[in-house]
Amino acid sequence: MPRFSLPLRLMLAPVLVSGALTLGACNDEDCCSVPQDTVDAAIISTFADQVVVPTYQDLATSLTTLDSAARALQADPSQERLTAAKTAWFAARIPWEESESFLFGPVDSYGFDPALDSWPVNRTDLDAVLASNDPLTAEYVRNLQETQKGFHTVEYLLFGDGGTKQVGDFTTRQFEYLTAITLEMKTISTSLSDAWTKGFDGRPPYRDTLANAGQSGNTAYPSTQAAAQEMVGGIINILDEVANGKIADPYDAKDPNLVESQFAYNSLSDFSNNLDSVLHVYRGFGDTVATAQHSLRTLVGANSALDTRIISELDAAQDALARIPEPFRESIRDPASADEIEAAQAAIRKLQTTFESEVLPLVTR
Amino acid sequence: MRRALLMMGALLLWTPGCGEDAPGAPAAPPRAGGATTIDDRTSLAFAQPAPNLSPEGQALHRVGDGAFAAVFVPAPAPVNPGLGPVYNNTSCNGCHLRNGRGMPVMGPGPQRTQLLVRVSLPDGTPEHPNGAVPVPGFGFQVQDQANYGVRPEAAVTVEWVETQGRYADGTPYSLRTPRVSISPKDGASLPERMLTSLRLPPPVFGLGLLEAVDVSTLRALADPDDRNGDGISGRMNEVWDVAARALAPGRFGWKANSPHLTQQSAEAYVNDMGVTNPLFPEADGTHELSRDTLEAAVFYSQSLGVPARTALDDAEVKRGEALFQTLGCEQCHRESLETGAYPVAEMAHQRIHPYTDLLLHDLGPGLADGRPDGAATGAEWRTPALWGLGLTQTVLPYATYLHDGRALTLEEAILWHGGEAETAREGFRVLSAEDRAAVVEFLGSL
Repeated sequence: MPRFSLPLRLMLAPVLVSGALTLGACNDEDCCSVPQDTVDAAIISTFADQVVVPTYQDLATSLTTLDSAARALQADPSQERLTAAKTAWFAARIPWEESESFLFGPVDSYGFDPALDSWPVNRTDLDAVLASNDPLTAEYVRNLQETQKGFHTVEYLLFGDGGTKQVGDFTTRQFEYLTAITLEMKTISTSLSDAWTKGFDGRPPYRDTLANAGQSGNTAYPSTQAAAQEMVGGIINILDEVANGKIADPYDAKDPNLVESQFAYNSLSDFSNNLDSVLHVYRGFGDTVATAQHSLRTLVGANSALDTRIISELDAAQDALARIPEPFRESIRDPASADEIEAAQAAIRKLQTTFESEVLPLVTR
Repeated sequence: MRRALLMMGALLLWTPGCGEDAPGAPAAPPRAGGATTIDDRTSLAFAQPAPNLSPEGQALHRVGDGAFAAVFVPAPAPVNPGLGPVYNNTSCNGCHLRNGRGMPVMGPGPQRTQLLVRVSLPDGTPEHPNGAVPVPGFGFQVQDQANYGVRPEAAVTVEWVETQGRYADGTPYSLRTPRVSISPKDGASLPERMLTSLRLPPPVFGLGLLEAVDVSTLRALADPDDRNGDGISGRMNEVWDVAARALAPGRFGWKANSPHLTQQSAEAYVNDMGVTNPLFPEADGTHELSRDTLEAAVFYSQSLGVPARTALDDAEVKRGEALFQTLGCEQCHRESLETGAYPVAEMAHQRIHPYTDLLLHDLGPGLADGRPDGAATGAEWRTPALWGLGLTQTVLPYATYLHDGRALTLEEAILWHGGEAETAREGFRVLSAEDRAAVVEFLGSL
């Protein structure tokens, strides 16, 4: 490549650019225009305010409920209270899975994701701690590995191997451990919600960072397109993860140990809630409000041919998931379920392709 | 004007090919990672496969993606056994968040240790030529986490000490220096004169391309004795290649202290996670990580896409780029390199724009860790690549810069440069606020 001297290069630059624009027909040419905010900023702020923030608030609320249910179970163990705790676990799982198409920002920076959702469960160390008399202080719990805490460890404690745990199977120590880690989950989910709305650790609220995409000095999202691409990229990423990771890994290996939420037999619900996460981002509202003036959907054009296709492909993916026989950890090894599992993967991949090839270009112009 | 019209005429007659070097053609816009470049400026920009991977490459990349995300637990376990007994973190992505850098944190969760402390003794018998001298009880790295029933080697804390400075225009700034405290868990006292060095996990994309740059290219860039008298040396590290059992040119790590990605990855498995592997097995020769998984993880780091620059024709960015050149930053943060022959064909023979020369430079006493590493002195650091730098806060909000995460902003990172970069740093310090902003704007476009 010829190296021009600086003044000459600067003099030629506009010419070179216009040349590229005039003649550029290469597939691999840089998208080298200055980012103009071609995406309506209201789409981004609506996503932040009507999807991300309420989802995390819902998570904090439901993990507070889970902690209360675990404490009620510990205080006066009964089958009824065990059922209530399990119900609270299922309920808390919903907003978490509904957040998985936007796992960017504080959830990653502060380690909240691994703290809440690490997998596999570290049963070796968990059993050792249960067998010990170590006092479960907040500091002690903070030092435990993430694989001894969070959703899946609580799941293991509440449901047991095979999901058949009865209230009489619990030891006092297990109750003690359970409430120690549900308390930490409650704390972490509150911090996560605060990180978006109030700021955490002395930082400004991340809601503002996202909603103010394209404003001067925004180093995370220098344009509204960058934020819109974040939204679409997150959708594509979770669809890929469900079809080619969460379903494919255990199915291809025929190994129930690779199944997420394997103790509560909740895997198919997790996947379905991941698809709801996609729907929420796309339409610009979650479970708390029922409309959005500005969303990816309005950008696509509500009720346009493409929008109709996206909604029908989302429905088709949900229907295909619903046709996989429960429990998923058994179905992966049952030849009679292979067609249903592969059909669900195909339906999810189809939706992923639509977002990649039809929606992403709309926010990269 | 006339010249411009003539040029336009020439352009219109020119039918462009898609290479960057069509004879007589003006340069096409640079593609950061050559044919591996992706157009993605989101938090997932460091987590996409190179677009030119073969079907086989895509399949292996996906396996590697799983390996990179896999969270290890202590054995026995049906899934991912082998963590520890002592360690710093439990997965590759636990330190390289979204394949980017880590946070400058150590200690318990939820932000499990990501900032490592390397240690050695100033004198004694090294394990092999150019090797460091291990510290009894620590080896070369402090593992401050442990499986249940095992004592971590030490508790490590870092405090930051602020020093004040001023730009030439009077604008004040504050820089922070880390102060590390290591408290051995067995109550032992630390060896006197123990050398320590903090290391922040760097981003992992584009590494195959950097590995594919021929060693002769780097030797040609090196100027160990500063024969051209420009005040910039540039040296290659010589480090122990475990598999070859010989000294080899160093290329990866903050001090170019690892010869290739296989060793770099294997070292991370054994030191950071306590997972033994084919290169670093147990005493009896067995290992917890399979060769296939190690190879997949290595391939993953070799085969990620490199995000394209943004805002290439923004006037402010261009002004910043010109300043970057005139300040002399580009003398080490070399804009362009060629890759050579390479086992992964997709990375071979590419024109890339990493902004590094992959060489060691003396950055002065301010940044020095005083801990030699291979042939690198306690004041030398390998020029880090700057591609993707503008995505740092997108991929990891609140991330920090430099080898130990001391710099909270890009301006602070520049202000820490000394030694061979003293002139460039001073040039930046005396710029107007507008010009400083332009330099940062340019860095943000990378």
